[in-house]
Amino acid sequence: MLILAAILFPIIGGLLAACLPLGKDRDRRCFYGLVMAGSDLVCLLAMVYGQEIQLAALSDRVVLALGFDSFGRFFLAAVMILYTAVCFYSFEYMKMEKRGETFAAFFFISFAAMVSVCAARNLLTMYLSFEMATLSTVPLVLHERTKEAVRAGMKYLFYSVAGALMGLMSLFFVYYFSEGSGTFVPGGFVDPQAVAGREPLFLAMVFVGIVGFGTKAGMFPMHGWLPTAHPIAPAPASSLLSGIIAKAGILAVGRLVYYAVGTDLLRGSWVQYAWMILALLTVLMGSTMAFCEKNLKKRLAYSTVSQLSYMMLGMALLSRQGLEGALIHAMSHSAAKGCLFLAAGAFIYYAGIRQVKDLRGIGRQMPLVVWAFMLAALSLVGIPPMGGYLSKWKICLAALEGAPGLFAWLIPLVLLVSALLTAGYLFPLVIDGFFPGRDFHGEEGYQGGRASLVMTIPMLALCGSALAAGLFGGSIAGLVTGGI
Amino acid sequence: MISIILVFMPILAGLAAWPAGRKNESFRDGFVTVVSLAELLLSLLLLDSGIRASAAFKLGGILAGGLSFEADGFRTVYAIITAFMWAGTGLFSLEYFKQEREGLNRYWLFILVTLGATEGVMLSADLMTSFVFFEILSFTSFTWVIHEETEEAVKAAYTYLFVAVTGGLILFMGLLLLQHGAGTLRFDDLHEAVALAFRASGSGSPAGLTAAQGQILAGAVCILFGFGAKAGMFPLHIWLPKAHPVAPSPASALLSGILTKVGIYGILMTSLTAIAGQEAYRGFAVLILLLGAVTMVLGAVLALFSVNLKRTLACSSMSQIGFILIGIGMAVLLSCGGEEEGAGLAYAGTVLHMVNHSLIKLTLFCVAGVVVMNIHRLNLNEIRGFGRKKPLLKAAFALGGLGISGVPLFNGYISKTLLHESILEGAGLLKLAPVLEWTFLLAGGCTFAYMLKLFLCVFVEENRDPDLQKSYDRGPGQGRPYMNSCSAAVIFGSSLFMLVLGQPAVSCRLAAFMTGYEEILSFHAFSLENLKGSVISLAIGAFLYLLPVRRLLMKDGDYADLWPARLDLEEMLYKPFLFKVCLLPLSIAARILADSLDLLILLARKTILREKKRKSQKRNTFFDIRETTYLALDPIMRTFSFAMMMTCLGFLAILGILILVSL
Repeated sequence: MLILAAILFPIIGGLLAACLPLGKDRDRRCFYGLVMAGSDLVCLLAMVYGQEIQLAALSDRVVLALGFDSFGRFFLAAVMILYTAVCFYSFEYMKMEKRGETFAAFFFISFAAMVSVCAARNLLTMYLSFEMATLSTVPLVLHERTKEAVRAGMKYLFYSVAGALMGLMSLFFVYYFSEGSGTFVPGGFVDPQAVAGREPLFLAMVFVGIVGFGTKAGMFPMHGWLPTAHPIAPAPASSLLSGIIAKAGILAVGRLVYYAVGTDLLRGSWVQYAWMILALLTVLMGSTMAFCEKNLKKRLAYSTVSQLSYMMLGMALLSRQGLEGALIHAMSHSAAKGCLFLAAGAFIYYAGIRQVKDLRGIGRQMPLVVWAFMLAALSLVGIPPMGGYLSKWKICLAALEGAPGLFAWLIPLVLLVSALLTAGYLFPLVIDGFFPGRDFHGEEGYQGGRASLVMTIPMLALCGSALAAGLFGGSIAGLVTGGI
Repeated sequence: MISIILVFMPILAGLAAWPAGRKNESFRDGFVTVVSLAELLLSLLLLDSGIRASAAFKLGGILAGGLSFEADGFRTVYAIITAFMWAGTGLFSLEYFKQEREGLNRYWLFILVTLGATEGVMLSADLMTSFVFFEILSFTSFTWVIHEETEEAVKAAYTYLFVAVTGGLILFMGLLLLQHGAGTLRFDDLHEAVALAFRASGSGSPAGLTAAQGQILAGAVCILFGFGAKAGMFPLHIWLPKAHPVAPSPASALLSGILTKVGIYGILMTSLTAIAGQEAYRGFAVLILLLGAVTMVLGAVLALFSVNLKRTLACSSMSQIGFILIGIGMAVLLSCGGEEEGAGLAYAGTVLHMVNHSLIKLTLFCVAGVVVMNIHRLNLNEIRGFGRKKPLLKAAFALGGLGISGVPLFNGYISKTLLHESILEGAGLLKLAPVLEWTFLLAGGCTFAYMLKLFLCVFVEENRDPDLQKSYDRGPGQGRPYMNSCSAAVIFGSSLFMLVLGQPAVSCRLAAFMTGYEEILSFHAFSLENLKGSVISLAIGAFLYLLPVRRLLMKDGDYADLWPARLDLEEMLYKPFLFKVCLLPLSIAARILADSLDLLILLARKTILREKKRKSQKRNTFFDIRETTYLALDPIMRTFSFAMMMTCLGFLAILGILILVSL
């Protein structure tokens, strides 16, 4: 029941946020804060004490069930951290935007959708929650209601629906090759005997599933929506989309491969090769595009494309260490990229800056924001002790140990080249921000004062969480992958 | 336990100094001084063998495999030298930064964090720990380079950062390979693990290396380049001559005296544990020797050409790093060849030269700092004659110069003689040993020549502008000395080490303590053979000074900058290669990949749906259902007939294929 409550509470809170006539700004913020805190509390309780619950059983194979395992808990923790930080951040940021109520409503509803993605106990439930997450986040992209926003929203919707349908198709076959209600089992539940002799069909369908669910994680070739949709949303929403909602794709693929299909059936097959190639291409492509991009939010979006495929790579290695690397990267990237988008939002909010070149000297005006940006950038590049370093270490080591043939060398090499590009597109911005040079006297050019603490504290908290991912990520991820 | 305190106390203190400095600057200055002095006292505790043993500590469960520390003779001495350098430059900074107060809070924060990180590297017991702290100090020391924010400083800082990031990534790759090949990164276990890799595969097989052995070697090469980037090793030295001159002088002293040694530490520890003693890895030693020789000569030549006081010192650092690398190379080579005695000599020479160079550069860069804080100039023609009437400064610089040139009775002599000796020992293992020996002597001669040039220019010759010379001789006036007693104590005090360490008894004892190689105590530094090497080197130096420097490198009595500006590895090779050769094709390919599916969809829309640009309509009524339906259906209805046609074409195509197949 607790789990159901954890899903319903934010939905009700969101609906109330849209309907309640809260006139004053302060009342509204109070209410949002309460809903967020309440949701977090219920989620925590559900995580610890939540009993598995069966919502409906249409037949013995079509069952909707919710329940937590360590994998779900891990992702839910990331969801809660980012949503809470963004919620407080948007108190200040959304002053700038119209229709704050709508935003809040979909914010909480999408939170509920993410909780249910994490809590899904079987493939079907996960698919439904996955679609719910897509639908509830489209309005966040549409928020500005400009022509570009509508177009980007539609693109997001079409790509996501197409991807999810591919995923659904693959689910049918996974059910076909197994028995029971598709409840997740570490190591997979597909019956190898049923597959025997029909491997080509089965592998093809698993691949379709990986590409389909990978759409949400921006994996080539279905990445096109991500750099369009993420930057167009208001900063808090971009932060959520890049930080955690795209991770739903990672979660779904992880569930499909590690908890339904099982790694043994895939290891050494063409699916693994194709998956690794797609992920490698995406990593390089995303980093290079980000390096060439001039618009800050768009640059960050391309960076997300690349970083998400680090996780895909980690998972594609089909080893325990690779999965651990992917999980740690999910944790640290969620915090770091969330923080970067929030910082980009602060630049827009206070100085109206969207282009990278205008950021020169910004560090004088909002030092804390640029500090947060820098720490997050360090994590993304993979500088110890920030989180990105540990995940890269694990993924590369897993590649050296387990990847077939040439990939053992190629993967570390590509990741390092990509890290160099990442440094190239993030660090100059920080350096120019803090050290504009002696001849720079542009401070009076910016309007507005220093960034308020309501905005900076969530950012710094996210940096702290990226640091924690680096320090303790190994032991935490070890708990999750224990059964695999 | 003490290692944890040594590492984390300065880091925490730095974080505390930042907010404190925003409130009260003089309190912060005092606080920082106390912290660095306390660090020095604490590090001296390591001299006690009981405490040294207790320094071994593992902070498990965090990062990849925890952080582990330990202290042996070498680590102890370097922990102390690190703290000493920080205390010395810290005391000197109090006066140096009297006039320039901007950005000091940031400066002190990063100075202290770097102190902790440097201690972390110097006390690390495994490569992972070294790597973590190495990366931290790479980034924190970046702020020193850019501190002045002049155009050159910003440019140099970008170069520095680029090399630091690249070096860090190469190092990361090296660690990966080594971890995978040897299965461990602990220095203590590494030697055994590598030996195991050789024993397991039946060593001595003529077929070459097995996969694991190859990976260990590849890892060690990557580590060499990764740490070498920070040490200023060719070809990644490009940042060094740019970054050291633009940083504030106390920071230059640290960059040059200690941070380069951090790189050396990594190279030394890795080669002595993973490589040394394996016959099959002899090529690695030759690689180090080659790179070391190039670095040594290139640095010396650059220093000869330079007309900027700090740039000369920076290039000199690069050259001395080359000497140290040669020492490491010889130690590895001799140990791979089974000559443990010669290896011991080389090892002792290496560590002694490291210590000497750290202390010498502390003195020399602080002297340069005195010049900067008085007259804010560094060009040799402008500062010429600055030190004529400043005996204390003159003596300190002279001691440093004598030390670094390897003049007998001063500290550089002993370490250079040991290195020279080790090259002679390796003559049987290396065909090119005579060439190396003469290169070594030549570079030593260059050292003498450029130090002579600096000394004569700043402290003996008169400035060509008599008014300027008068103002230099007068000093800042109003009874103020050109430096206060605290700075004088630091500079002169540190220069006395040149004399103390010039005593073979002291030096050899120190080397024995650091390396554990007791036979070094019976080394005869002043034997005729050894003196000969030094004399040859000094003679070459005197010749170089009298002929090329005085004749070719001076125009009309001025020091001329004759080094062609275009001859810059970074501008000439690295940047074009990276941006034109690598990045351009990559970005084109990425652009094609990135838009491929979108283009396909667009193509489909233009052909199958024949979508046309509609006249601008109000699109902000998105949730109006009628509008949406219309928008969605319009292109389909409008082009229904076209779609039918396309369908027919499709059927025809399928039919054709079927016919073809059935044929």
